[in-house]
Amino acid sequence: MSPLLSRAVYLLVTIFFALFFVLPIWGTLKTAFVDGKGGLTLDYIAEVFRNPLYREGLLNSFLIALLTTLGCLLLSLPLAIGFVRYAFPARTWLNSLMLTPLILPPFVGALGIQAMMGQAGAFNSLLTALGILSADHPVDWLGEGQMTGVVLMNVLHLYPIVYLNVTASLANLDPALEEAAANLGCPPWRRLWRITLPLILPGIFAGSAIAFIWAFTELGVPLIFDYDRVTSVQIFGAIKDLSNNPFPYALVVVLLFFTTIFYAGSKLMFRGDVSGGGGRATTGRSLVPLSGFRGMLLSGGFLLVIGLALMPHIGVLLLSLAGDWYGTMLPARLTLAHFTGALGHDLTLSAIANSLKYASLATLLDVVLGIGMAWVLVRSQLKGRQWLDAMAMLPLAVPGIVMAFGYLALSREGQPLHALMLGENPLLLLVVAYAMRRLPYVVRSAAAGLQQVSPTLEEAAQNLGAPPLRTLWRITLPLVAPNLLAGALLAFSFAMLEVSDSMILAQQTLYFPITKAIYSLSSALGDGPGLAAALGVWSMVFLTITLLGAGVVLGRKLGALFRV
Amino acid sequence: MVAIQIKHLSKRFGDNTVLDRIDLQIEAGEMFFLLGPSGCGKTTLLRHLAGFYWPDEGSVWFGEQEVTRVPPYQRGTAMMFQSYALWPHLTVAENVAFGLEERRLPRPEVSMRVDEALDVVKLGGLGERRIQQLSGGQQQRVALARALVVRPHCLLLDEPLSNLDAQLRLEMRSEIRRVCKEFDLTAVYVTHDQEEALSMADRLAVMAGGRLAQVGTPQAVYRNPVSRLVAGFIGETNLFQGRVLGPIDREDSVMVQTESGPMTARITIPDWRPPIGEAVWLSLRPEAIRLESSSSANSFSGELIESMYLGATAQYRLRLESGQMLCIAESNPAGMSRSAGQTVIASTRPDDLIVLPE
Repeated sequence: MSPLLSRAVYLLVTIFFALFFVLPIWGTLKTAFVDGKGGLTLDYIAEVFRNPLYREGLLNSFLIALLTTLGCLLLSLPLAIGFVRYAFPARTWLNSLMLTPLILPPFVGALGIQAMMGQAGAFNSLLTALGILSADHPVDWLGEGQMTGVVLMNVLHLYPIVYLNVTASLANLDPALEEAAANLGCPPWRRLWRITLPLILPGIFAGSAIAFIWAFTELGVPLIFDYDRVTSVQIFGAIKDLSNNPFPYALVVVLLFFTTIFYAGSKLMFRGDVSGGGGRATTGRSLVPLSGFRGMLLSGGFLLVIGLALMPHIGVLLLSLAGDWYGTMLPARLTLAHFTGALGHDLTLSAIANSLKYASLATLLDVVLGIGMAWVLVRSQLKGRQWLDAMAMLPLAVPGIVMAFGYLALSREGQPLHALMLGENPLLLLVVAYAMRRLPYVVRSAAAGLQQVSPTLEEAAQNLGAPPLRTLWRITLPLVAPNLLAGALLAFSFAMLEVSDSMILAQQTLYFPITKAIYSLSSALGDGPGLAAALGVWSMVFLTITLLGAGVVLGRKLGALFRV
Repeated sequence: MVAIQIKHLSKRFGDNTVLDRIDLQIEAGEMFFLLGPSGCGKTTLLRHLAGFYWPDEGSVWFGEQEVTRVPPYQRGTAMMFQSYALWPHLTVAENVAFGLEERRLPRPEVSMRVDEALDVVKLGGLGERRIQQLSGGQQQRVALARALVVRPHCLLLDEPLSNLDAQLRLEMRSEIRRVCKEFDLTAVYVTHDQEEALSMADRLAVMAGGRLAQVGTPQAVYRNPVSRLVAGFIGETNLFQGRVLGPIDREDSVMVQTESGPMTARITIPDWRPPIGEAVWLSLRPEAIRLESSSSANSFSGELIESMYLGATAQYRLRLESGQMLCIAESNPAGMSRSAGQTVIASTRPDDLIVLPE
């Protein structure tokens, strides 16, 4: 790529970020810090901390995030180590299945968890049927105020992120480092403690930080649980009245402040630490076969976690099929009415069409931007390209709800981004919002792919007469195709399941994406929850098909697809 | 086949001058070697020929045409990379066909020439294999075929044999040279393996610190090194310090005072006549030394420290009276009659003792 083209890409990306990243945040900050007379003020922020309701919300968000992270580590760490070290029955399959929760919308799962674990849910009915529990004194498994439910759902949704990061660090770890320790007389458990864990600590931390921040700002799950004593839901509740009310802005700023601190903290902790992923494996890692019982035990561990993770979604499936389900283990009567109903319903049909439209356009935008940015990052000698890298990762550090709030605030009448609203249609706004949120994944996967493609492979093509764009087309793109597809697929799935932007930006029923339609149905009276569950199942089926399709295209690389 | 000319070429990476005013002429059809320790700039120079780098100063010419700023894909060179750079998503035949397809050749001709090229490198019938299915030696041949099939103006080779085992390396050396001569190619070959260079090159350049230390035929560079660095890098050598005593009757020789006494030594650098009293170095190849029973002109005496029998040669290490070590290689040794601790005399012909500047 010529320096000129690199600069053009750089400029374009900078403008994109200035308009759709910096501007919305800046707008929010301004309203939070500037009083009615145009002077700077800290009163609004201070009010957030003075208000007991807001204080409790922040505390609860923090607690949920902490418990979620611990839960994720508990589920992921042992299995990740087991996966990288040992050969056991159905290893590859179980590893792929571990990732299924990632593609299943957590707030849909929340509907299922209520059905399974609620006071009148399937689990209590099971215990009652077994005579362990008296029907008159059901146990509230989800905890008072539903906080336990939120944490449970978060853990079951987010543990794959920790798992992926830990397995990736472990796979990058040069086995020779452990062999050297063994050679010097270090037994397995001490080796794990002294060599392996310290070396993969950056990976553990990276995954935990993502899970933590995600749970800290999660909107969909507490919304479904109707748990309004967390910051995210408090912000959502306030968006209806934004004019002349600075407190939602202040609340967003406080949320942003804390996530920035967490994010920066996790980055600083490992700054300049070159251990772990730095070196290339000098020897291949051979798997230790686990025989008979012990192999089964490890497989069983995987199955247990996968089963737990699928539980909410089985709940949703049952809910969508239930004609009548209250206080029994399984629905009293099964029916397909919700499914046919969902397909005949105005809201659901338009929602599916809308989501497909928004998500594909956003993915397209991401892929084009992502390839360009990755190219500049990995291949060009452009000065300041490390800033581009930092910029590309910024959306990860800012919670979706903060961005969504910023877009909403700035797209109101008379605000700079109002032009993006096509009348009442939030299409452009949502495409930009979705694309911005998932851009880091695409850039990262494309850059990782490019890094693996030795530049000499491109030089060889140029040396044999292929100009740069032909080289890109014939050599580079085919070689990074799996990475690109992986990144694009992640971007697409996440866009289909996006909650914050969808909830906040789509105001008119006509333009609802799937997620908002599900939310709006779930709280509707009559067969609303059934319809919501059916729509949830439709979207799960759709995503499963997308991923299986990609699996067929990529052959055996499906597992590798998620190791971005 | 084309002559290559490099004029006053300099390249800097940041503050680091990697190539420093290089002037070099490579004849058409010549097999030319760039030789030097790692970091000397030899690969950088090669990549200037391929067009991957553009110089900060100076120019590159192919024949009458200046190509200094011609992009790599329009240069018509073909390069063999150290890592081979074979594309893993293409088969062997597709790899080889790539350059022809980029030249928009008709399909039948492409497949004909691909088959031909694979035959030349003795890989006929393996065209449908994937790159990962080939051994290191086979991959190396594919890389050679891919480069040759486009009938390049010149072939550029960047340490193409460094990833092969010793046996295969020997085989491929003669293979590459055979093919280059058969196609009458101008070839520029980068290596740090002096044996490879000596055995294959028509001419070679020894590089150090981004400059050309010496250019010449293998014999000339080996026999008449012009600096300590070249003497030490090409072959092994013993180096002594000394001071010029005065001229002798021969035009190209001088008398030099060393710690082992006065010696007659040959001057290899044209137009260099060190004045009397000048501090100089003497270079002496181990194989140019004989062990004698009595002392004569140009002889050293010392204590035998170590002797090693290697079959074709025997190697000795002598500690001279000055304390300096002297390595000696005797070819076709009859027997190892001398044992450590003995005092022995080593002598050399004045032609083999070379005077080099400080």
